[in-house]
Amino acid sequence: MTHLSSKRSFRLCARSLNFLLVAICFFTIAGCGKGGNSGNEIRVGVVMPITGREAKPGQYQREGIELAIKQINDAGGIMVKEKGKKLRVKEVFYDDASDQAKSAGLVERAMTTDEVTAVIGGYSTALGEAESVMPDRYQTPWITPGAAAAHIFSRDYTYTFGTLSSTDLLGYTTGEFLGSLTDAGKLKKDLAVALALENTDHGVEYGEGIQRWIQEHPGYFRVVFSEKFDLGGTDFSGLLQKVKASKADIFLADAHLQDYITMERQYIQSGMYHQMISYGARGPDQDARKALGDATNYIFAGLWWSKKLPYPQVKKFDADYQAFAGHEPDSYYPAPAYDAMRALAMAIEQAGTLNKTAIRDALKNVELKDSLMPGQVLRFGKMGQVELPFVIVQNKPDDKSDIVYPKDAATGEAVAPKPRK
Amino acid sequence: MNTADFLNLLVAAVLLAGVYAAMSVGMTIIYGVLKIVNLAHAGFLMLGAYFVYELYTRANIDPLLGVILAFPVFFLIGVAVYWLLVRRIPRSDQPTLSSLLLLFGLWLVLQNLGYLIWGNGDHAILTPRTFSTFQIGPIIFPTVRLVVFGAAVASLACLEFALHRTWFGRAIRALMQNSDAGRIAGVHVDRTAQVAFGIGIAFAGAAGGLLAMMYSFTPDFGGSFLLRAFVIIVLGGLESFAGVAVGALILALVETFSILLIPSGYQPAISFSLLVLALVILPDGVAGLWKKRQRLA
Repeated sequence: MTHLSSKRSFRLCARSLNFLLVAICFFTIAGCGKGGNSGNEIRVGVVMPITGREAKPGQYQREGIELAIKQINDAGGIMVKEKGKKLRVKEVFYDDASDQAKSAGLVERAMTTDEVTAVIGGYSTALGEAESVMPDRYQTPWITPGAAAAHIFSRDYTYTFGTLSSTDLLGYTTGEFLGSLTDAGKLKKDLAVALALENTDHGVEYGEGIQRWIQEHPGYFRVVFSEKFDLGGTDFSGLLQKVKASKADIFLADAHLQDYITMERQYIQSGMYHQMISYGARGPDQDARKALGDATNYIFAGLWWSKKLPYPQVKKFDADYQAFAGHEPDSYYPAPAYDAMRALAMAIEQAGTLNKTAIRDALKNVELKDSLMPGQVLRFGKMGQVELPFVIVQNKPDDKSDIVYPKDAATGEAVAPKPRK
Repeated sequence: MNTADFLNLLVAAVLLAGVYAAMSVGMTIIYGVLKIVNLAHAGFLMLGAYFVYELYTRANIDPLLGVILAFPVFFLIGVAVYWLLVRRIPRSDQPTLSSLLLLFGLWLVLQNLGYLIWGNGDHAILTPRTFSTFQIGPIIFPTVRLVVFGAAVASLACLEFALHRTWFGRAIRALMQNSDAGRIAGVHVDRTAQVAFGIGIAFAGAAGGLLAMMYSFTPDFGGSFLLRAFVIIVLGGLESFAGVAVGALILALVETFSILLIPSGYQPAISFSLLVLALVILPDGVAGLWKKRQRLA
């Protein structure tokens, strides 16, 4: 009897021990997942698409953020007065796979489960729009280096910031650039413009910006065709046939990379020609130049940044980025992400605390005076979005490209009209 | 719009139909014999695109030859996938949840494999053929689209020949019509299903190669074509190859010409509307209509 009961009590003991071990493991793992910012680090959430439709720009933006984090940590971290010491930055990264629902969910997860100090995320307007509802809900600062539609910043959110100027301004600058070519006698007055815009806020605002410039400057251009197309289309022959039928002189589209490649291929195959052609912010992208070859020559693009900007900090960034990522920065993608992280670091330092509301308030007043972006000073506007000028870049033969507008940043002359062959 | 524009659009629609038919036929074979909806079809389209791309960039093999080489390679891949995974799915006359989940999972695995191997950049095949065109009167023919159309039609003709003139083709058709009767007549169901799955995947791989000649692609490639493939096989009738060709032509014509009446932003809605219409009005597709007419005659 005694023997049996001792055996039973041994089993009970073993079971309790097992339970205890499982519980310890569980809480240890759960604890690992959180950690918060109470220790010796500042957790920053990074939610970017590195798979799916927006994978390539998302990858470049991630690399921009990680380069900034590396440089901050190499310098010892961010000084937080409240803690009396410098704290290192720890990135909590999630790939949203270019999926809107997943993107919003991951930002929520970073802000709640991971208890990050701030989130940098949202490449593309569509993904940024999905994420933008979370910051005010969880009172955590969010900076998007890839969503440009002004619509995102017009909802009275207070924790939402963006390092890209609005796409409306991109459209407006495109109008300004074309107008400057008319003034220079390179293009005739009263030319007909056809607009093909992706069916997103990005596309809509780009079209609105162009139309606004044309209305404010009568006699320069007239819009003879304007239509939206769906993102990720497989066939644009119908749309292009309508553009052709409109007999426009200038073709301005707003498209993402894959649509730019597909549409330009079909454009050439249809034997179309326009005096000037643009795909919005797409043009000098390396993948497009590989996929389209000489067909990309003389296409111009409005960009938020170019590695050709004549600032010393841009040259340094270009070299640092190549050493860090092992390849050149493509298009504008990594620069606004790099500056987003640096602006956040500056705001944390100025706030002197890891209190998210204090960091939000500091972000409102942050002034990054060695910014990579055109104008060299990055500060967030009243609604949280920067208001920086654009540069117009034109592709040239032999894989070259030049900044052709504004004049003070130009590295080459704009070729207009585009040669036929 | 003048006559020349109209004719150009018509040519574009017919050439597009060839592409659509090529990418849908693999799904039809697999559904017909195994009664499973191959959700991994898009994954094999993507692999086919990269297969042709690799042959072109590494060995300088013409993409068209690459497409021909894709047939045996993807046939073997299909046979292996059947042997490893698909044969374990319980047989049914209707698509089962387990088959949908398995093949959806396989698609995700293929996608991630693609990301591991090729990264997330856009890849494309650029040959002298890519931008070349030739003109007959006012009509412009993009060479690459014509080549893709020709290859699609030739492969469909070969399939049609094999299905009607060989014993094995008859076995496949027998299983598509009535698997029990086929078994009684001496058809080895498992072996035939394995080969049919292999042929379906071979067509998917080859179609991916053809698409790679026209579009840029990432490991995410194929998803937008999957919806169109569904529409086409529902329109054409789930088990009819001639129906697939007709379904592809209907979809291409409607997609291309509807843009003249409605903004092109609504193009995906056209595919969905056609799918719903076909399911409600023509649940057996165009092939069902033919059969009905034959019975009445």
